[in-house]
Amino acid sequence: MSYFLKVGVFLFVLLFSVSLLLPHKARKIYDDNELRQMVLARGLASTPKNKAELFKLHKNDVNKLSYAKIKLGKELFFNKNLSKGKDVSCSTCHSMSKDLNVKTLYSNMLTSKTNDANDCVICHLSDQSGTDRLLSSLGSQGTPHPFSLNTQSILNTSLAKYLTWEGNVKSVEEQARLSIISPHKLNLSEDELIKRMTADKKYKKLFLNAFEKINLQNTSLALGAYVKTLITRSAYDEFLDGNNSAISQEAKNGLSNFVRFGCNGCHAGITVGGQSIQKFPVRAYNSIMDVTNSFQNDGREVGSFGFNDGVAHSFPFENKGGYMGKEGKQLFRVPILRNVTKTSPYFHNGSVKKLRDVVFLMARHQVGMSLTNQQTDEIIAFLKSLEGDIVEFNIKNGDI
Amino acid sequence: MKNIHMKIYIILMFASGIFQLSVFNISWEYFRIIQATHIVSSAFIAVFLLVPYVNLHTYEYMIVKKAKSASGIILGFLLFLIVLSGFYLFIVGNPGSDVLGIVSYYTHLYISFVLFFVLFLHAKKKMTATVAILAISLSIINPSSLQASKTSSKLSNIILEDGVNRYHNNDWTNSAKCKSCHNDIFNQWADSNHRNLVGTNPYYMVMENLAAQDKGEGFRKWCMGCHNPSAVTTKQTKTSHMMAGNNMPNILFESGATSLVEELKLHGNSGLEEGVSCITCHRITKTDSNGNSSYSLDLTNRKKYALEDSSSPTMKWLSEKFINSNPITHKQSYSNPIYKKSSYCASCHDEFLPDSKKEIVSTFAEWEKSPFNNPKDPNKHKACIDCHMTNLSDGKFSPLKGRSTTGGTIKDDVKVHYFSGANHFLSGLKNKTNEDQTIQLLKTSAKLSLDFKDGKLNVSVKNVGAGHHLPTGVSDFRELWLDITLKDANNKIVYSSGKLKKDGNLAKDARPFMKVFGDENSKPVGLFFWRYKKLLSDTRIPAGETRVETHIINDAKSLAYPLSVQVKLNFRIYPQWVTSTVQKAYPQLPNPPVITLEEINLDIPLRK
Repeated sequence: MSYFLKVGVFLFVLLFSVSLLLPHKARKIYDDNELRQMVLARGLASTPKNKAELFKLHKNDVNKLSYAKIKLGKELFFNKNLSKGKDVSCSTCHSMSKDLNVKTLYSNMLTSKTNDANDCVICHLSDQSGTDRLLSSLGSQGTPHPFSLNTQSILNTSLAKYLTWEGNVKSVEEQARLSIISPHKLNLSEDELIKRMTADKKYKKLFLNAFEKINLQNTSLALGAYVKTLITRSAYDEFLDGNNSAISQEAKNGLSNFVRFGCNGCHAGITVGGQSIQKFPVRAYNSIMDVTNSFQNDGREVGSFGFNDGVAHSFPFENKGGYMGKEGKQLFRVPILRNVTKTSPYFHNGSVKKLRDVVFLMARHQVGMSLTNQQTDEIIAFLKSLEGDIVEFNIKNGDI
Repeated sequence: MKNIHMKIYIILMFASGIFQLSVFNISWEYFRIIQATHIVSSAFIAVFLLVPYVNLHTYEYMIVKKAKSASGIILGFLLFLIVLSGFYLFIVGNPGSDVLGIVSYYTHLYISFVLFFVLFLHAKKKMTATVAILAISLSIINPSSLQASKTSSKLSNIILEDGVNRYHNNDWTNSAKCKSCHNDIFNQWADSNHRNLVGTNPYYMVMENLAAQDKGEGFRKWCMGCHNPSAVTTKQTKTSHMMAGNNMPNILFESGATSLVEELKLHGNSGLEEGVSCITCHRITKTDSNGNSSYSLDLTNRKKYALEDSSSPTMKWLSEKFINSNPITHKQSYSNPIYKKSSYCASCHDEFLPDSKKEIVSTFAEWEKSPFNNPKDPNKHKACIDCHMTNLSDGKFSPLKGRSTTGGTIKDDVKVHYFSGANHFLSGLKNKTNEDQTIQLLKTSAKLSLDFKDGKLNVSVKNVGAGHHLPTGVSDFRELWLDITLKDANNKIVYSSGKLKKDGNLAKDARPFMKVFGDENSKPVGLFFWRYKKLLSDTRIPAGETRVETHIINDAKSLAYPLSVQVKLNFRIYPQWVTSTVQKAYPQLPNPPVITLEEINLDIPLRK
């Protein structure tokens, strides 16, 4: 009898002490202003809404913004002469249309007499997403990327600290230079560039307005200046700027979750990402299984269990292309979450197609949480509120 | 092994078995667990405990001790029957038509009572008290039913009956899951127009994108309410398409929904199947015709058997066995008396403009006014499914005798899921049977007659077969017209009408039976049919009515007789200009063929 008593007392003490460790604070519900203050205090910020704010942001840049540079950069961005095969331009992969005011892009292309658009562009050009929506990028003359890497959106990248998947590039100017000469991108040598630009009167004039001479360095400076004007503004920015009704309550809960779960630790800053290099996946659990088993989240099932009999991978999805991140250590630049709803497919080789699956994987492998359906819904509502159009700054001669 | 243990096992198996009887009416959540426990544990107990025990027991008493027990022999025999029928139900199941399955089911059910009785006779000590306690302790409470919530949206009027705000991917079930038992029906549906409403339908994809450009991204919901219920209810904002590597797979020619089957293998239920899936229609609880997509869905309250959602192949196999052994609940949860009524189809086959409530498509409304809607005379009454879900052969309705479930009961009229209508083209790219069914149906619709008098050629077209206008549906994008060729004695064409131009478009002189929508300035709306404000013309043929087209032949008297005239009633699913537009986005799309529904030839020998 005394034996049972002892066991009973032991169990009681054990359970009681464990219960003390459990969180007992009710979830803090922020009102709109508290939420805004909390978010701003953690370094998240809104994007410039007019050119004055934009110029202020780039006041101390080495590559000073000027009207002539931006004008030249914009022409270069859409110029197919910038590629070896004269078949692609920057805007082929960083898909967007030159004139943001045309709202009938889709029907124009459906009825146009010429058809130089591929299947994807015809529907996705009007997204103005700054990416081609392909799984992996294709360069001049159809050259595939050696590691099958997915094209990232060019929008807002000028505000990021690191660029490209491994984060080895620090500025948009440097990236513009690399994109021109990379064999799997535009694949154009400096000599050929100078030859082509000098031969074109229009470009020659534009170049000489902005710079002293035509060369690769100046081309990338002009492109960099243009890319700095490619900024999007979303409902989330409106909310941060003080408009409480800009985003839904679900999105506010999502933003609150985003901060509370620590997502903003990596997806930080004005760009909501792109400010640091981090490991992915942080948590491998037993071993990362094939994508086949990763998304199972059977809430209502009574007896759902699987055996760990899948193929083990370095990533929770198929690593087509075999890319292992910076120095092969699975280190990646944290992707920018602005416009994430427009930039599927996801991850470095576009292996995951749905945002919901991405949220599931990131929560599981990066923050070590298994989110409820409601939490996932809220986070997705927040991510949707990050979606915005490119701001039309209307920079004119003499503005800067 | 003690006798008492065996008795407890048998009592437990018996109790878990009889609780599945409908008289107990226990709630589904308990039922499915009890059923799974009963089947799995009984199989285990029978093989590892019961059979070895009975062997030893029989050996010990009948051979060693030479005891004579009539109840023992009966008990052993009954036990044998029960174990046999149980295993038959588990492994083969009782899907309906299998006599052994039915026998096993009733054997397993009734003999268990007899066995239970004999067990008491055979036992030395009476166990009444034990049984009484067991029965009382298993009193089951049913959870209260859930309330319905109403969403009021102009673009889509879908009501989620289960009271939830939205569905998640897991609430939907991939249609390929139904294939394992309903193979024929799945294959019919897989290449039908109901399957190909979204990503595999280039015309739809172009139109949805165009609508989004014209009316804003939110307007997609107007299309998606009927075309893509799974996406709307999971709060997706647009219809997506598949990718294979860097390319869009050529889904136009994919037969049997193989990509869907692959998707189920790869992602289980977590990948959302877009479009109208099996459970979209089979979990509709209510419909009306008062707005776009005005139907009620109830996905979460459906009665799933244990392990039904599991992704592991073993578990899936088990869940199928659970369903098969007692499929009545499965059957009931996916059928509803309203499915046989025409009003069931109305919620999507009557379409309205969201703002002005103007009718875009009124197929159900047309049927309601037609002679086909005759509830007083069941012989004349024909509902939607009587034509569109009935098998055709040799140009006639010939109800298909067969099974809708593998091993199921033989039905006199299996409702086929080809959903034959007018669109033979998109389903025909995938499957010739589907195309053939639709063309056969189309050919039953109209009759031509012809006379030539005073230099006038009168062609009358009677809508004999359709319980709605001809053409119906998106009749602004359908071409039904008369192709007329008049030749003189020298075989020279002296008059023609309704020919195709070089670019494939219908010539201006053709008189298609269609309606033309105009905007507020009375200009044809073209592809932008949501801009419809004024009806410019309506030359469709209502059910049972005749339209006469008069063609005047100039100088009829001076022609070289005898004349010969050929009139064809031609049908093309999409005008060439529509297809040409869609081909900009989908270059692999071929041109739809022209189908001749009726042809009539007449020789005119004398001058009249």
